[in-house]
Amino acid sequence: MKRGAFVLVVVLAAAVVSAAEPAPDITVTPIARDGQVVVSFDMSDAFTPDVRDAIQSGLSTTFSYDVEVRRGGGLFDRMVASLTISATVRFDNLTRRYQMSRTVHGRVEDARPTEDQAAVGRWLTHFERVPVLATTSLETNGEYSVRVRAHTRPRNAWFFWPWGGAVFGQAKFTFIQ
Amino acid sequence: MPATVTSITPRRGAGPVARPEPPRRPFRDNPRLILVGIAVLIVVLVALLALASGTARVSPDFLSEFVLYGLSAADLTMLAALFFVLARNIVKLVVERRRALPFARFRSKLVALLLGMTLVPTVLVLIVGSELIRGNIDRWFNAPMADVLSSANQIAADYYREQQLVASDHANRFARTLAAIDLANADVRPIRDLLAPDVTQQRVQMAEVYRVVPSAGSLPSLEPVVDVAAPTLPPGHSRAAVDRLAAQALAGASETRSIESLGPSGDLLHAAAVIHGKDGKPSGVVVATAYLTGDMAARSRRMTKAFEDYNQLRVLKRPLTGVYLSFFLMVTLLILFGATWMGSYLAKRITRPVLLLAAAAKEIGAGRLDQRVEPQSNDEFGSLVEAFNSMASELAASRRKLDRGTIQLERKHVEVEGRRRYIETILERITTGVVSLDAGGVITTINSAASRLLELNRSIVGRPAAEVFDRADLQPLAGLLAGVGHGRSEPTAHEIAMARDGQEVHLAAVATALAGEGGAPEGIVLVLDDVTPLIRAQKVAAWREVARRLAHEIKNPLTPIQLSAERLRRHFTGAPPHAKALVAECTQTIVGEVESLKGLVDEFSQFARMPSPRTVPTDLAQLVTDTIALYNGIFADIRIDMRFAADVPLVRLDPEQIRRVVINLVDNAIEAMERRGDIVVETQRDPANSVVRVIVADNGPGIPPAEREKLFLPYYSTKGRGSGLGLAIVRRIIAEHGGSIDVGDNTPRGTRFTIELPC
Repeated sequence: MKRGAFVLVVVLAAAVVSAAEPAPDITVTPIARDGQVVVSFDMSDAFTPDVRDAIQSGLSTTFSYDVEVRRGGGLFDRMVASLTISATVRFDNLTRRYQMSRTVHGRVEDARPTEDQAAVGRWLTHFERVPVLATTSLETNGEYSVRVRAHTRPRNAWFFWPWGGAVFGQAKFTFIQ
Repeated sequence: MPATVTSITPRRGAGPVARPEPPRRPFRDNPRLILVGIAVLIVVLVALLALASGTARVSPDFLSEFVLYGLSAADLTMLAALFFVLARNIVKLVVERRRALPFARFRSKLVALLLGMTLVPTVLVLIVGSELIRGNIDRWFNAPMADVLSSANQIAADYYREQQLVASDHANRFARTLAAIDLANADVRPIRDLLAPDVTQQRVQMAEVYRVVPSAGSLPSLEPVVDVAAPTLPPGHSRAAVDRLAAQALAGASETRSIESLGPSGDLLHAAAVIHGKDGKPSGVVVATAYLTGDMAARSRRMTKAFEDYNQLRVLKRPLTGVYLSFFLMVTLLILFGATWMGSYLAKRITRPVLLLAAAAKEIGAGRLDQRVEPQSNDEFGSLVEAFNSMASELAASRRKLDRGTIQLERKHVEVEGRRRYIETILERITTGVVSLDAGGVITTINSAASRLLELNRSIVGRPAAEVFDRADLQPLAGLLAGVGHGRSEPTAHEIAMARDGQEVHLAAVATALAGEGGAPEGIVLVLDDVTPLIRAQKVAAWREVARRLAHEIKNPLTPIQLSAERLRRHFTGAPPHAKALVAECTQTIVGEVESLKGLVDEFSQFARMPSPRTVPTDLAQLVTDTIALYNGIFADIRIDMRFAADVPLVRLDPEQIRRVVINLVDNAIEAMERRGDIVVETQRDPANSVVRVIVADNGPGIPPAEREKLFLPYYSTKGRGSGLGLAIVRRIIAEHGGSIDVGDNTPRGTRFTIELPC
């Protein structure tokens, strides 16, 4: 009985803490152009003071995004293509410079240093025109959806139930050729 | 340590109910496995403690990303297992209590006590320990420490920045100086001369100059022109980093500074500046490099690392706290799980021997005396089990003896019952009457023969003999019973005569005293034999002997007498008429009387030497009809009526003798009615007694009861004439046929002879 009450208190406290912060949201914009499906997405309210603190502490901070293009909707949709993009930032407190990098499927696509914290925020949360697949894989007039799921690392996870924390975003489009 | 007991199967397979042996649980009943389980638990606890103590050497990132998840998963698993074990035990205890199983209440109390003794302190320790962990972690991040580390990092970073700015100033100064020199065609010596003093005076440790090489249709590239390095610069630095920085600067990037780490040798701080020609176009790039010694760089790195480590711990405070709490929670859960399981196990271990003993006692109570409990320890429980087993053995032995005794007793009882039924049957079937009295003179049994002979109802059983035998005709018996036991001589038979239905019945009565083992009187047995037929037979035999001798003694002189009389008559044929008449009359009288005597002697002879009947199956009705037909038209005032039963079968008899019997009886009836009246000749069948009856009844004056028995005696006649042998011969014939004849009153008047013949 006492243990049950203790667990309940822990869960309620976690709920109160999470409610105090604005929930992150992902805005997804898919575009089919020039034979490519490109996806732009932006995760708002994710560059929180906690994230900034983690970066400033020298922790290697990674925002990882799973991008999926699915045919149809509901329970019976079908995945057409997927992509995993990671944006990593590490701050050197000695030189006061941020080292940023982006990988696609684990392969480094871009890396650059910066001293601008705002640029770091954009680097982690804002992605423009990420090519996902060729339009030849799409059906004309087909209904598609693009789902983006984001994970952050390190996670400021809570004791006893550290799972969760993923952020989802979704957008639908009809491929018209 | 309580005894580990296991019930074993009954030793005899043919027991009433063979209870299956309770299944041995491989873990619960194996102390070695239990010890191994406890050792594994301890090893896991030690490993957890070691892991917890080693967390200082693991990066916080790894702890929060991997260890926390693993521990949380393990905690949840342990918690689920704990809840499962607790719920299972609680449900089992509740079910056992509801079923009112033996020791369910005691076991639930024991489990609750053990759990309470474990749960309460463990939960308290968990709460207090959690608060201690939280408090200690909070104390890690106190303000002075944060200020010191921040300041140290600030100093190191500012120093680096300062050095970079200095290098950048030198690079800009070099760029302005070199703007006047045509880098494309100039000799490198003036450039080297220009840079050398700064290098020599240690303002910079290295200076490198690039010139722009234009290329058609693409971006211009850089070409190294000259580099001047101080001799104190450690080897191992990379030219690529400088080249990259120069290219960035030429491209107009905002980042014109970089830091190249040489590891333990120190750091190189590069700063680039674009050289603009006289025409204002970039003509080259100069990179100035400052050198920070290894000690300085290492010291700065350490300060920064300390600051970063501190900050990382602060940032990851929540998951790190979670890691330590998870460690603590896991240890607590392991202890709780072990304690819960151990509490349940101990409760079972304690109550199980008692439960088995109770179950075995119940089985023994139900009659299964071969139930045993196997002791596996030498403590008090073992002694208790041993005592229980020996009690069960003694009970089983006693039970077997009792069973054998019961079987023997039942056999005896069956035997006695059979004997009793046998004697009872005999007593009921025999013609000898038996009456038994108890020591108090109360009648206890009377068989049917005695009931019939004494004309007593069986309801007299239970009444005093003195009261029953007080009847006038039974008083001789009362006297006989009163005299029993007064003498030591063997009991003798007393003949007692009494009247039954006008006939005299002779009984041979013997009263015998029953004595117990100690000679104590237990009662009297009165045995009665109907000796009337015997006496009758004796009388008949006597009369036959008389008749035979009489016939012999009388018949022999009759012939000489008759011959002598005839001779006298012939001799006096010539005598005077009156003499002749006298002689003739006398001799005629003598001859007549001799003839009469001869007839009488013949009848006696015939009675004495009656032949055995030659029986043939005979239609009795036809025989009677033929016999009665002889009287047709002879007696005008006599009416003979015949009534024959339809179901009378053929009877084996001698027709001539039976005809004689019927004639004799009808003649007697006609004589008794003085040749006027009605006679009924009737046949009946009695299937129950397997006899047929021939009844001859008249409506004459009847026969007084006192004379009825005498009727069948030889030489007895109520007519005052004849030999008196008629009815004696009739009785003899009927007796020779195995039957009987009886005489009684006819209704409403007259006499009724009833003959019974076997069929």
